[in-house]
Amino acid sequence: MAMTALQRLAAAATRRPADRAPIFCNLFDQGARELGMPLREYYSRGAHVAEGQLRLREKFGYDNLWSLFYVGKEAELLGCNRICFADDGPPNVEHFVIDDLDDIASLEVPADITRHPAFEQPAECLRLLRQHAGGTYPICAYITSTMSLPALLMGMERWMSLLLMGPVDARDALLARCHEFFVKEVEAYRAAGADVILYANPFGSTDTVSMKFFLSHALPWIERDLRAIGTDGVVYYCGTSRINRVLDIVLDTVGIRTYYLSPFDSIADAKEIAGGRALTCGVINDARMIDWTEDEVVAEVRRMTDAGMPGGRFLIGTGVMPLAIPEANIRAFVTAARDFGSHDGGAHA
Amino acid sequence: MLDSYIAAYNDAVFDTDRDEALRVVQRALDDGASPEDIVFRLVVPAMDQMIKAISEDFDANLAQHFMTAQIANEVTESMLRRFTAPPQALGRIVMGTARGDMHSLGKRIVMGCLKAQMVECVDLGVNVAPDRFVDEAVAQRASVIGISAMMSHTARGPDGCLGVRRLLQERGLEHRIRIIVGGAPYRFDPDLYRVVQADAWAEDGITAGKVIAGLLTELPPWP
Repeated sequence: MAMTALQRLAAAATRRPADRAPIFCNLFDQGARELGMPLREYYSRGAHVAEGQLRLREKFGYDNLWSLFYVGKEAELLGCNRICFADDGPPNVEHFVIDDLDDIASLEVPADITRHPAFEQPAECLRLLRQHAGGTYPICAYITSTMSLPALLMGMERWMSLLLMGPVDARDALLARCHEFFVKEVEAYRAAGADVILYANPFGSTDTVSMKFFLSHALPWIERDLRAIGTDGVVYYCGTSRINRVLDIVLDTVGIRTYYLSPFDSIADAKEIAGGRALTCGVINDARMIDWTEDEVVAEVRRMTDAGMPGGRFLIGTGVMPLAIPEANIRAFVTAARDFGSHDGGAHA
Repeated sequence: MLDSYIAAYNDAVFDTDRDEALRVVQRALDDGASPEDIVFRLVVPAMDQMIKAISEDFDANLAQHFMTAQIANEVTESMLRRFTAPPQALGRIVMGTARGDMHSLGKRIVMGCLKAQMVECVDLGVNVAPDRFVDEAVAQRASVIGISAMMSHTARGPDGCLGVRRLLQERGLEHRIRIIVGGAPYRFDPDLYRVVQADAWAEDGITAGKVIAGLLTELPPWP
């Protein structure tokens, strides 16, 4: 059965027949290595990132492409002017836009994100990805949720303090601004060609907040976010935090149909909770892939597919793959996922 | 006498309700508890219970860790001013995030817990170079260096724990200073602390307080 990756993803999402489970292998900084340039230079141009993404996908043979440069790009759209680059790992935000609570009032949400200078290169990346792979491979965008975005603007420590201890008016004012930005950002990425919106929200997990807080504070903002953007192409993702305890609630309340698990979530439990109503994405503990042997990687994929493949509606994924993972292990992961994730009598059958 | 207050305090902390936790402390004081009782028989046992709960697979979350440390820090700071005699410090630690790492939340949780355990903690901030960790440990006569890292490359790279270890070896300081590490990469790979040549690690900030207190008791004081 010849299918494109986009058709394969749609089939998995709707439980239609497919050749195999989709494979999302999230390689970012590895693109710089492909192009033989430092990370700072790589991330300075959308053309570099698009080229890196296309080459990596071609090289390893998985199913998705990313328009994400690094998470701090969102902070740049809101005024961040300093990113800390490294040679061996992802850039992170060095300048926090909100230094004290008075800065919240002056936080400026761009009127039109597509015209913001910080969006110019991601837009170029999306244009190229769409030109070369649009309609064939799902193009993913990473969008931080309203409740999690303040961590990029003021640091997780200060955001946690404001969120849990107030002052409430400052907290709510910041959330309102972040929601306004969130909606505009999703619109901009969709208009530029993103098929999949990874809705990134560590605060949507009870690893981060209590169930009581999740229900009273996090969930209402999730509902508001999703009411504004709809659930089409949206993936519920809480970083590496577990989601099984909230999966049923989010599915029932918000209606998101795709859930990207934590490596620490039980895949079998997630499948049972979803009960065929949603696509669940099993995620390998890719931090371990740095030191694992190829055989250990294959064994882990086997364990994941044994739990996830029965009943279909399953995707095999990674987290944000560290640059230190040997290429042989990336190949082992993709090969094993293609094999054990086959619906047509591969090694799994 | 404090048993009922411990339960009420723990409930408030687990519920991330800082105001209620502070009210419990005030009620205990009104009921005759001393500032020393509040720290050593209320705040510290509450942290012990949290650690026990975590070890028994209780799903404690990051917000609870944060509030446990935050409240412990606030209460201890307030009570210390009212102690009848200055408390004996258990030891001193310097702490920061690894070079290239801007994530400070874990460090704050650990420091809040350490204060209640009478450990003096020198905060070196974020993005700390290996030589600064070691220079400050020597200058402060600290027995433990705490290195927090939230990203794989800052945990594993040469400018993180490995760099600090190299400097301790070069300067002949390993008999006097221990290294503890923590942060997300260590949770994903519990053997990673050995790979980066740390002496210890902790899965969360609250447990880290206890591990550090243990390390401090192993080491001779600086001359």
